[in-house]
Amino acid sequence: MPAPTRAVAAAASGFSRRLVPGLRPQLASLSHLLPPTATAAPSTAAATTTTTPSPTSPTSRCHSTFSSVNPNEVSHFTALAAEWWEPHGSSRLLHLMNPLRHDLIRACLAESSPASSSSSSPSSSSSSSTGTSTGIPDASITYLDIGCGGGIFAESAARLPSTKHVTAIDPTPSVLAVAKAHARKDPSLAGKLTYKLTSVEQLPVPTADGEGYDVVTLFEVIEHVDDPAAFLDRVRPLVKPGGWLVMSTIARTWMSWLTTNLIAEDILRIVPPGTHDWNKYINEDELRGFLAGKGWDSAKVVGVVYVPGLGWREVKGSEKVGNYFFAVRKV
Amino acid sequence: MASNRALLASPRFVCRSCSRQARSSSSYRRSYATTSSPSHDIYDVVCIGGGPAGLSLLTALRANPTTSRLRVALIEAQDLSKTASFSLPPTQFSNRCSSLTPTTAQFLNTIGAWPHMKRSRIQEFHEMQVWDGVTDARIEFDWQPGSYASQGNVIAYMAENLNITSGLLRRIKELGGVDVFDNSRVEKITFGEETEDFDLREWPVVHLQSGKSLAARLLVGADGANSPVRAFAGIESRGWDYGRHGVVATLELEGDGWGGEYRKTAYQRFLPTGPVAMLPLPGNYATLVWSTTPANAALLKKLAPKDLIALINAAFRLSPVDLAYMHTQSTGQDDELAWRTQHTHFDPEAVPQMVVGVQEGSVASFPLKFRHADTYIGERIALVGDAAHTVHPLAGQGLNQGQGDIQSLVKTIEYAVAHGQDLGTQMSLESYNSERYAANHVLMGVCDKLHKLYSVESGPLIPLRSLGLKAANALGPLKSFFMEQASGRGLRV
Repeated sequence: MPAPTRAVAAAASGFSRRLVPGLRPQLASLSHLLPPTATAAPSTAAATTTTTPSPTSPTSRCHSTFSSVNPNEVSHFTALAAEWWEPHGSSRLLHLMNPLRHDLIRACLAESSPASSSSSSPSSSSSSSTGTSTGIPDASITYLDIGCGGGIFAESAARLPSTKHVTAIDPTPSVLAVAKAHARKDPSLAGKLTYKLTSVEQLPVPTADGEGYDVVTLFEVIEHVDDPAAFLDRVRPLVKPGGWLVMSTIARTWMSWLTTNLIAEDILRIVPPGTHDWNKYINEDELRGFLAGKGWDSAKVVGVVYVPGLGWREVKGSEKVGNYFFAVRKV
Repeated sequence: MASNRALLASPRFVCRSCSRQARSSSSYRRSYATTSSPSHDIYDVVCIGGGPAGLSLLTALRANPTTSRLRVALIEAQDLSKTASFSLPPTQFSNRCSSLTPTTAQFLNTIGAWPHMKRSRIQEFHEMQVWDGVTDARIEFDWQPGSYASQGNVIAYMAENLNITSGLLRRIKELGGVDVFDNSRVEKITFGEETEDFDLREWPVVHLQSGKSLAARLLVGADGANSPVRAFAGIESRGWDYGRHGVVATLELEGDGWGGEYRKTAYQRFLPTGPVAMLPLPGNYATLVWSTTPANAALLKKLAPKDLIALINAAFRLSPVDLAYMHTQSTGQDDELAWRTQHTHFDPEAVPQMVVGVQEGSVASFPLKFRHADTYIGERIALVGDAAHTVHPLAGQGLNQGQGDIQSLVKTIEYAVAHGQDLGTQMSLESYNSERYAANHVLMGVCDKLHKLYSVESGPLIPLRSLGLKAANALGPLKSFFMEQASGRGLRV
């Protein structure tokens, strides 16, 4: 038994993003993403407890999702969060994945505004300040990053010349504190990046048509909410018509069960048992189902695989078995 | 076998660090600033060192549309206006020359610097003659029919370093957007402070003696073999001294080469004391790079011109025994050569034309070293060129390695910028280190082994190395392979 299991583990390593401890702080923050009404189900609480692995005090993490965060957890998150930006820390694979998110978003924006690339030539002193290689005008895109965690994506989005502004939200104070502290290390982010301690529901919903964000991102979020379809309905008003909703998640397959649940939790025990709620993983066709008939189009799917030594690679068809990005445009 | 890849003596003379004032490296150790006046100017890239590597980095960053909006600064101890106004009559050449591979020349062209160089002062060559001074085993390099034929079959271009740097400076001026602090001594490098608005405690801050301070998202050390930036980053550089000095000089020859003006040849002879090389410059001129013992180097520097000329001619013609004797003379090499040449058999067209003059003031020497930094990157730190690696000049790869570093680093920075990464973080810089470290390591190892192989005067290595040269010479395809390596067109190591 052990021999074949190891073999499978090796073969499946490409899909083992859920094994990465670095994802845990981000997941932890997600448990607070929704207001009590949306997260009252016991299973969410279970997910919450399991996303905060602490070898020293596993029981201290059993807390209510909705209460204010207890001191133990604050210190625990702070410890985890401190590693968020370590190049060889537990979030390394998330850092490595981040550029691929931008490649997808760039492809989306290029598709939605082919005409805008030639217009709007800023009068900056730079000789080539019109979005350059991207073809996207400078300071034109607004982002909302839901469940921003330590800010890996939010910071990178704010640095792009084409970005007008990034609003990044997360409901966990300690995690958001890390994000804010880290953003202070880069003066270029000032004025372009705003962190908010809030849930989606507390965000003001755009009233007029044409308001909202050009790009709303849900990275490593959707599989941790109880009712993804309802959640996506709540997110929809935040997206500007013609704007994009971009997500990343993991498919619910025998492979992801093997890598994230059986191997990570039960065999290798690098993740406390119960961390992953495999039942909440979402397959690409299910995601399509949630969004069907609700005013989305131009769906794009990119399957990605982590290859040790090479990094994340786009692999056609891998969205059916493991990690994938999913983007749709609001009609 | 790999020995034949490296063929040219590189005139990577006069270590820049020498002109950079020896400073106590301890003052560059990491230290936390305690001042509370955080009025630093904030830059994306601050490059210390205005040599070929540093200047081409800034040129490339400015020429690239993705990186052109970065705020960049150059700090250089010397007066760059003197470099920029480099101008010599066609009968004079600086003794600091480099061989540029076609790959390097192409890169300089891509970033728009090549057209700013004085083309009439650059000499390409199409052939190389390399031979063993002990056995006379020889390998001749010229392009075989059917081999890589573009770029006019140029093996390499000989150019004065000043021609390169002045061309780069003109290109930088044309592009604009680089804050140049020349004539500027670096007083110290510290870390920044935390203020109400920002936290720059992980940002290197370069303090100039003028009182100006520059905070760097990425601090690039293009500051030579004794790199203060490397010391600040706490990166070790390991290696050894060869116990050899490189002697350089600008030579005048009896003619413009056996192949005439349009078919120039580079010559290199491996002597037991080290390789001696003569690389063609335009017209009747050539540049000498002679790696030899410090004692011999001292002698060469103080000989009267006619005796120095005789000793250089002897170095390409006489036996190592004769040559060793002539090094014991304090004068009279001129007569000695005339007498000994009569008793030495050699093909006059297989060696360079006779040297008839040495440009006044062009004889100089510098110690040869092998150094390799443990890593090229740190948090908000990147090392390029000699700051990262110092190589034996016998393959003429020093400057080319640095240009390879720049191409890779700019590509890395471009990727980071295009994907919103903080370009200074170690994670963003990883691909630069992984791409260049192994490549430089292989090349440096080959040059080092070549030097050691040909330092042996007797024993079983001698016939073996000669056999290697002769066998390689007989095999056309093999030679083409070696030449493509030497000219940077081969497999990218």
